[in-house]
Amino acid sequence: MKTLDQTSSLFWLLVSILVFAESLRIGIGTVQNPGMGFMTFGASGILGILSLVLFLQASVRKEDLRQKPLFAGTLWRRIFFVLLALTVYARVMPVLGYLISTFVLMTLLFGILEKKRIKFVPLYALVATLFTHLVFSKWLNCQFPHGLFGF
Amino acid sequence: MDFFGSIIYGFQVTFQPINFLFCGVGVLVGTLVGVLPGIGPAGAMALLLPATFKFSPTSTIILLAGIYYGVQYGGSTTSILVKIPGEASSVMTCIDGHQMARQGRAGPALGIAAWGSFIAGTISNIGLMLVAIPLAHAALRLGPPEYFALMCTGLIIVTYLAQGSVLKAVMMGLVGIILGSIGLDLISGFPRFTFGINELTDGVGIVPLVMGLFGISEILENLEGSLEREVFKTRIKNLWPSLKDWMEAKWAIVRGSVIGFLLGVLPGGGAVISTFVSYAVEKKISKHPEKFGEGAIEGVAGPESANNAAAGSSLIPLLSLGIPPNPIMAIFFSALIIHGIQPGPLLIRQHPDLFWGLVASLYLGNGLLLVLNLPLIGIWIKVLEIPYKILFPMILLFCIIGVYSMNNLSFDLYVMLFFGVVGWLMRKFGYEGAPLILAFVLGPMLENALRQSLLISQGSFLIFVTRPISAIALGFAFLLLLTTLLPHFKKRRRQYDQFKE
Repeated sequence: MKTLDQTSSLFWLLVSILVFAESLRIGIGTVQNPGMGFMTFGASGILGILSLVLFLQASVRKEDLRQKPLFAGTLWRRIFFVLLALTVYARVMPVLGYLISTFVLMTLLFGILEKKRIKFVPLYALVATLFTHLVFSKWLNCQFPHGLFGF
Repeated sequence: MDFFGSIIYGFQVTFQPINFLFCGVGVLVGTLVGVLPGIGPAGAMALLLPATFKFSPTSTIILLAGIYYGVQYGGSTTSILVKIPGEASSVMTCIDGHQMARQGRAGPALGIAAWGSFIAGTISNIGLMLVAIPLAHAALRLGPPEYFALMCTGLIIVTYLAQGSVLKAVMMGLVGIILGSIGLDLISGFPRFTFGINELTDGVGIVPLVMGLFGISEILENLEGSLEREVFKTRIKNLWPSLKDWMEAKWAIVRGSVIGFLLGVLPGGGAVISTFVSYAVEKKISKHPEKFGEGAIEGVAGPESANNAAAGSSLIPLLSLGIPPNPIMAIFFSALIIHGIQPGPLLIRQHPDLFWGLVASLYLGNGLLLVLNLPLIGIWIKVLEIPYKILFPMILLFCIIGVYSMNNLSFDLYVMLFFGVVGWLMRKFGYEGAPLILAFVLGPMLENALRQSLLISQGSFLIFVTRPISAIALGFAFLLLLTTLLPHFKKRRRQYDQFKE
């Protein structure tokens, strides 16, 4: 946890410096008439101090050698694939429309973990897509994009 | 309208077909969400919120309250049968509830959890009716300094009660305040921290933020490892607890109700904390503390009563002061704002249909949960047996729909994904999301109150200590912070003494 706390505290310190600088740029005003950077100026200042405290706390702490690495055993490919699929989906949904893009996304997502009954995956995806379209678009009147093909 | 007339009016509102339907749908969806790990009450509320835009605010709030109540009920089922808490507020139920199931007493465990929840929910509703109105009257005399102090206290309580490091919780609160300030400045009307992105002019949406931090991050965490979970196979019988069970559990239910009610009212309190306190109290005063952890029925009755009582009473600060005391209430707050209703001291006077309709719906929802859920327990067990490889794509799709349909913007999906990854990393690095969400919602209000206070006092911070209510609230918050630092100083002192020796 020592290294992790050091790393994360440095990250938050960086964030606090950026926000602090931006707060100064947009104007903190005066105490009598606070400007729009006043609150974030204070919040980022305290965040910066606390990040330093966390960094120092972590630095003087003894490392627990029994602790296994944080990302050990993580199935990176699976997580990366899901995030990539969702990012592409967000990009193409307005273009291809809800039905097509959701069907493709669900096929990919159902397919990630299904090893045995892979032939049923498109069926699951179709049912999920049509079911959500019926419930949310038809019954609850949510507005989904129609895309290039008009559906 | 007198008190009883108002209650009757509330029931008239609740028994309108659309409100009755929304109450039923809310408790069923809530129970389902409570049973399934992944979406969470905030996510479920956010998912159904866009669907309520064409309905009245009263119907919307009844639906959301039903979900919140239902989640507390549903969470106990997974805790008892799978030893996986569907929600954080059911963590304590796992300990003795699952042991009871292993001893063939799953029925009484589920039964006492349901009955305890029903009794606590009813007690909490009565408290809500009695406390909210006088508090709203008193709140009319509060000014910006008092609001600032109360919100600060709420944020400090949340960080104080954080499960991990208090320092990290405070940091997350500050990050929440910074995130909440993105968008148009409330006073000058100029954009800030938008970095030229037009979609950020309205600020970061609470729905993508909540869905990302809680929903997507949990799915990513689950995808990391093995997705197998074992449902404890047992025949569920005797859902009606025996007389002996009732005798053992009755005071635990009463104590749990009182603890839950009091902690729910506190800004920063809520269902999760109340269950921990209730379990600790039950174990402490029990004549047989050694039975705790081995299947003591008080260990189920107390926490389950506490979380339902807290669910009801946490509506009090929202409806009477306009301050959401926890992240779930922050979603309620947003829902009211979206429907054009400003939560605060005038809400009860200006929208009696909403307040009394909500109160009556809580009674109805409580009853519906008891009537529907005990007979439906077999269905919830079947839901638990759905493999995660089927569940996770569906949960992801619901998150996408919930986020997209708020504004019909793909940008919100990117925001959700971004905070999903941030939330996943926060879990890894030991940071909690709850203080961030609460500070995110309170941030703009906090800033407004601070700037108004300083304008009133012409720049003097003494305004916060010269007015009694704000002085008491800030003093309390300061004491809380001090108590978190004291053990640290004591430890340092001991280390120094040892070194000197």
